[in-house]
Amino acid sequence: MKSGAALLHPAPVLLAVSAALVGANWLMRPERGVVWALELALVAGLAVVFIAAVRRRSGGAIARAIAFAALMLAIALGVRLAAALGGTIHDDLAERATMVVLGAFIVATGNTLPKTLTPLSMLRCDAGRAQAFHRFAGWTWVLAGLAVSAAWLVLPIDAAQTITLVVLPACMLAIAGRAVWLRWSQPAANPAA
Amino acid sequence: MNRVFKALSDPTRRRVLQLLHARPMSAGELSDHFAVSKPTMSAHFAVLQEADLIEAEKVGRTIVYRLKMSVVEDALLGFVQTLGWKTAAPKRSRELPGGRAERRYLVKREV
Repeated sequence: MKSGAALLHPAPVLLAVSAALVGANWLMRPERGVVWALELALVAGLAVVFIAAVRRRSGGAIARAIAFAALMLAIALGVRLAAALGGTIHDDLAERATMVVLGAFIVATGNTLPKTLTPLSMLRCDAGRAQAFHRFAGWTWVLAGLAVSAAWLVLPIDAAQTITLVVLPACMLAIAGRAVWLRWSQPAANPAA
Repeated sequence: MNRVFKALSDPTRRRVLQLLHARPMSAGELSDHFAVSKPTMSAHFAVLQEADLIEAEKVGRTIVYRLKMSVVEDALLGFVQTLGWKTAAPKRSRELPGGRAERRYLVKREV
């Protein structure tokens, strides 16, 4: 990832917003100083990882993940600050918003999954089946992410939690099962070989 | 995104993507499915590569093309096909409005 691209990346802005929100929360509720100090340390840690990712050529995915983490943090801190300022915030708003963003992250990750190609010379199985696996994994993640986001947007908390706890492990199991099937169901054959 | 729409707007290119859904193929294998000249097919491949929908990889002396579509692009391709846009290219005798030379050929066979 180039340094110029890092300046245009949303992660630094979101991290700065998160840090500012931690500071504002600390001012409003100084009795919870330990919590805010931990959150500030988390933001600083994310910033360090982002800087390290920027210096690496293949750090784009890490930077994107940090942007999503910072967004989730900013949402949670924003809701807490609004509550401390006396706003009428529904109890589960922070949890809902965080889970909707998490679902969006899963969708974004799944969407780009089929675009990450392993060089043919490094494939240890048939290229067509490996491609089919990537597409399957991508579609599965996208649909799971959409289901999680939709559930946390419209369903009661209990139902949304249940759906998340069912959908995400099922998604992982399906992908793992497909990977095992891909590995064991046919002999290694590589068109590059 | 404009490049993706441009790439998907052509039936020959959509057919190439359909063929690559099954497995990676060499340029020759892909060209065998179409009654078009090699330069025309190369132009199609170039448009698809520019849109980042396929990736070319040199294996020995051949170039192997692989599908490189995100889930959204994959869904878009399915959507375009579901809408009923024909996979077969228009007939040679029919001139399309604003059509380029590459559009005036037939898809040789359907798989």
